[in-house]
Amino acid sequence: MTPGRSVENALLAGPLVLFLLAVLGFPTVLSLVYGFSETGFQTLTAPQFSGLKNFRDATADPTFWQAAWFSLRFGAITALLQCGLGLALAVYLAPLARAHGWTVAILIIPMIVAPAMMGLMYRLVLHEFAGPVPHYLYSWFGWSPSFLGPANVFKTVVVAETLQWTPFAFLLFLTACQSIPQDLREAAAVDGTRPWRLFWKIELPLMMPTVFVALFIRFIDGFRVFDNIYTLVGAGPGGSTTSISIYIYESFLRRGEIGKALAAAILLFATAFVLLSVAQRLLRGRAP
Amino acid sequence: MKPRLTLRWIVFAIAAFAMNFPVLATLITAFKPPGEVSRNPSLWIKAPTLENFATVLTVSDRLNVYHYLWNSSVAALIGALLPMIVAFPLAWAMVRRGTGRGVLFPLVVNLRALPLIIFAIPLYMMYSVIGLLDTRLGLGLILAVVNLPLALLMLVNAVAEIPAEIEEAAYMDGARVPRLLIKVVLPLCRPALITTFVFGFITAWNEFLFGLILTTRDAVPMTVGASFFFATSGGGVQWGTAAAVMVVAALPPLVLGLVMYRRISGSMVAGAVKG
Repeated sequence: MTPGRSVENALLAGPLVLFLLAVLGFPTVLSLVYGFSETGFQTLTAPQFSGLKNFRDATADPTFWQAAWFSLRFGAITALLQCGLGLALAVYLAPLARAHGWTVAILIIPMIVAPAMMGLMYRLVLHEFAGPVPHYLYSWFGWSPSFLGPANVFKTVVVAETLQWTPFAFLLFLTACQSIPQDLREAAAVDGTRPWRLFWKIELPLMMPTVFVALFIRFIDGFRVFDNIYTLVGAGPGGSTTSISIYIYESFLRRGEIGKALAAAILLFATAFVLLSVAQRLLRGRAP
Repeated sequence: MKPRLTLRWIVFAIAAFAMNFPVLATLITAFKPPGEVSRNPSLWIKAPTLENFATVLTVSDRLNVYHYLWNSSVAALIGALLPMIVAFPLAWAMVRRGTGRGVLFPLVVNLRALPLIIFAIPLYMMYSVIGLLDTRLGLGLILAVVNLPLALLMLVNAVAEIPAEIEEAAYMDGARVPRLLIKVVLPLCRPALITTFVFGFITAWNEFLFGLILTTRDAVPMTVGASFFFATSGGGVQWGTAAAVMVVAALPPLVLGLVMYRRISGSMVAGAVKG
């Protein structure tokens, strides 16, 4: 490679690298500095080094662990539900989707709606007096649960998240399903294979890599959830729907505990980083 | 064969109804007169009206929907275009010369999987020092970061599909790299550029967290502005108005997304599988 060429390559990469350094690199340094310092909104320009104090504060806070546990549970349960439902829908509706493409468009509408708007819409739909869901439950069964009360709020946010993002899993599985060669199915049909057996023995094994990818993506998205829960119930009754993202937001803007919020954010970053590396090693191990 | 197909239609209808229910109910509520909502929460409108939309589109001293729409448009434009501009030259260098394949590519692509909140606090502090807090540019910049991974991924895929011979012919004619990129590569990437733009615009428009943290008044985007309608006027939420503002807020991405749904769904799948 000539020196002229490497300069040229540097110039081609330059805009993106500079942009990343400015918008993410600098804030990352900032968050490390402030994460290890005594900080308040008044002393923003003069951080005092305080070692691991913020991390001790964050990890000593029971709400932090409650939020971490909520995010973990929420991410795992919604990922499993979405992928299960999405897989079933994709395999079952594949012939319909092949013949009538517009049906796919209808099913992916929820993904195009902002999660924050979806949360607000659920507030309307589930409202005691103005919401159609309690209205119909009352008129049909004479009874309606308190969807956002302490007993049900977890189930409610899980269902809301699942209904909005099952389309994503559906879309991934539909594409994977349609890329399975049709002759394979025809050959199986000639051999007299029943559809159920075809799914378990041929289609599902071929779609397994997509299953892992979908589970992973949906888990990550559920784990970091903020928008829809925040607009639907906020931190929830007794803080019961405080996800880790909501915890960081509230400690920072509501309670002004900058150091603690940053420490929690750094811990979250480290967790996400580890999860990501492990997942990628696993996925790479599968793909030859 | 026939009854089985009918059953598929039924399953489709149930799934479509359940997943789109909040959108449907909101759309219906938006056309109910203000007095009707609490008396008749069903999915049937007795006296359809445009009154709620008129209320939403009227500027009050606290709420200005045009302002939110304008803020969202500007911020989403920056958020969609900027990542394409910075990623395009690198995407070409990555494919043709392997520049940044080892470190830069995985670094950028993995940004997607990080919880965004971790950048929100340091950005808030940085913005408050350099005066980007509560500006459309400041919001647009971070939206550009959100869109960068997919933009890079899709442009790399697009460049990789261009036959190298086409570029070599241009080289022979003595074209330099910048000219080659603009005159030859850019036009050939047009479909991917359009998809990247539309997808990025929708993502940026729908973003909420950064709008909530980084703006307060001057640059409030539509998603955050819509939530203001829920906290207004002491006497509880005006559901008709609230429904109408949600329709207004959700309409631009919905129209874009439905017109281009094939491209959108294709890029979602590509982004997930290739990452």
